[in-house]
Amino acid sequence: MTRARTSTLAALAALALAGPAAAAPAAPLTVALGVKEGRVLASVHVDRAFAPAGERELGNGLTNVVALYLSVMPAEGGPAALVYGRVIDILFDVWEEVYVVTVKDPRAPQGVRLVLKDAAALRAFLSDQRDLDLGPAALLPEGAFVVEARVELNPVSKEQLRRTREFIANPSAGTRAGGGGSRSVLGAMASFLLRDPDPGSDVHLFRSRAFARAEVAPP
Amino acid sequence: MTRSGEGAAKPPPSAPGAPPGDAAPGPLRRAAGRLRVSRFEVTIAVALVVAATAPLGVAVWQAGRLTEHALAFGLDPRVVDRLESIPALYLEIFRSRKQLYAEQAREVARGLPRDPARGTKYLGAAVADTPRLRRAVWLAPGGDVLAEAEDTAPLPEGEWRDAPARVELPGGGTLECTFAIEARFFAELDEARAVAERSRDFERLGGEIRSGLIRSFGSMVILAALVAAMIGLLIARGTTRRVSQLVAATRRLAAGDLAVQVDPGRSGDEVAGLARAFNAMVREVRESRDRIVYLEKISGWQEVARRLAHEIKNPLTPMKLAFQQLEVRWARSPAKDADPALGKAVKEAAEILRDEIGTLQRLVEEFSSFAKLPEVKPEPAELGDFVEEFVRTSPQISERAEVEIVRAAPSCPVALDRALFRRVLANLCANAVEAALPARARVRLGVARTRDRAVLTVADEGPGIEPAVRERIFDPYFTTKGTGTGLGLAIVKKLVLQHGGEIQAGERPGGGASFSVVLPLRADPSGAAPD
Repeated sequence: MTRARTSTLAALAALALAGPAAAAPAAPLTVALGVKEGRVLASVHVDRAFAPAGERELGNGLTNVVALYLSVMPAEGGPAALVYGRVIDILFDVWEEVYVVTVKDPRAPQGVRLVLKDAAALRAFLSDQRDLDLGPAALLPEGAFVVEARVELNPVSKEQLRRTREFIANPSAGTRAGGGGSRSVLGAMASFLLRDPDPGSDVHLFRSRAFARAEVAPP
Repeated sequence: MTRSGEGAAKPPPSAPGAPPGDAAPGPLRRAAGRLRVSRFEVTIAVALVVAATAPLGVAVWQAGRLTEHALAFGLDPRVVDRLESIPALYLEIFRSRKQLYAEQAREVARGLPRDPARGTKYLGAAVADTPRLRRAVWLAPGGDVLAEAEDTAPLPEGEWRDAPARVELPGGGTLECTFAIEARFFAELDEARAVAERSRDFERLGGEIRSGLIRSFGSMVILAALVAAMIGLLIARGTTRRVSQLVAATRRLAAGDLAVQVDPGRSGDEVAGLARAFNAMVREVRESRDRIVYLEKISGWQEVARRLAHEIKNPLTPMKLAFQQLEVRWARSPAKDADPALGKAVKEAAEILRDEIGTLQRLVEEFSSFAKLPEVKPEPAELGDFVEEFVRTSPQISERAEVEIVRAAPSCPVALDRALFRRVLANLCANAVEAALPARARVRLGVARTRDRAVLTVADEGPGIEPAVRERIFDPYFTTKGTGTGLGLAIVKKLVLQHGGEIQAGERPGGGASFSVVLPLRADPSGAAPD
């Protein structure tokens, strides 16, 4: 994991957390914080983001994406002291009838592949995110702080944007044998001018209770 | 770009204390002037832009509608739903296949012999008889292979992949069967998934795609408008710049600059015609002004000459009579013989007085002649014929000079007062003869014409005229010769101007002086303009 990628992902996480939330948090986020080897590790329980009705969508045989962003912020407000982001690709293998999950985060930007046998295992995995490396404990705020979590279901990813831009620029490439096709100026310009969409409504924001630094990192 | 004719090529110097902006424009100011856009140019450019973009505005609206329709067709929610359900269909297909293979494997398992020694034969027959069963392995509870068989016959054309089916045997052990399933199912599934995911992406990004396409089209319209504006400006500038130059030149003309001229360019359009007409008008005005000024000046000098002649002539006659009486009485006087020295002095004084009185008389006659120049009464004449006739009937010229007549134009109809124009030619030729003295003069008389003017040239091979005095050479009483009154060329110029023409002194190529007399061509009696 390079420092550049880490900072890029952190910036993305900060941006995502700064974006509008579709729903206000109802109950405090269940989060456990600890320090290991000078780094803050978090385990969060975000099962409220994954309603049982959503299992059908996650098992539809298409690639679904869950993005989880965490930030540690002063309780009284202010910029995030620590941020973390992870993107989880979920593909239900209709032959093997298992869930193939790829987890990408700053520690594994290429992704770690997991195979989960059924929807219950998938839901359990998604609901309990464990040992998330938030960053150096030294960066924890001195005063009270909270952990905010943002869970997005199937956000429009950069890859999706790239694919869409390519298709707009050259729509016939995907329909002709061997690809190719001619690029139109209009399509190329429209592709260039295609902007990131709004986050959408499937965004869940959670906020933990206030923590004291001493609780997490005893002096 | 306006340009000035002779005498006005240099801009007037700035007045003391004038702001720097009044000074002659520098390169930067000239460049800025060239880049400045006039209202006329803006008007034409705006007209072009409006003409170009008005339909494009409608096109943008239509493009938005078309994009909406296209996206509505392409992103029909039912289509997207059906595409997204394709993997579920394959799931059912795969489950059916797996159930089929599991049932076939159980069927094979049911027929397994008790004796493993016969298992290989049985499995071989089962593999051969069971469709798509490629391999069957009978495993003991401990994992040892009790029997196995494999179909080595080639599968039908196409790609295949393994589909395992495992049966736990009642007495322990396992039967592992491997069936062949068409690999195209998986390829088709992958492609269907890719299409479905793309449709899902488009469905989510539909609004942005539409906005992007409209923004793109709008950007292209703006680009087209800018290009149209630039082209419009360029096209407009070709015309409006010349109009602006005409406006500027007209202002300079109104300010009294009669040397201003406008470059009509190489175009043959109306603006170029207007520029040429403007130049002709300015030239005509300038010539008329010069003619009037000169004639007024000459009139003044004529009045001076008339008075001088009168004032000199009045006392001169009594002086002459008194001197003549004195001479008669002196001839009869006895004192003439009494004092020979006195007689000699009186005789010398009488000669001086006689000469000076004669000089004064000639001067009075010239002044009178200059003061009483008759009115010009022109009548139709052919300039070339007139010149030939003048030379033929002027022995005083042909005797003193080699005269050559060159008629470059066969016909130069003009209006001349023959008697007075003879005087013009006589004066010019006399000047040429005197300029060549003591050598015999060579005088070249040329007759030519332009589109609307006849040109008579009198050139000699004398010392020529200094450029510094050319401006004054037609002024009365200005002469570069030791003798003469300086009225000859003034009379010539007045007569030429009274004929509606112009005269200029110049230099003959090869040396010598050259006088060019330009006369207007006489209109054709039939009414046709001179060709």
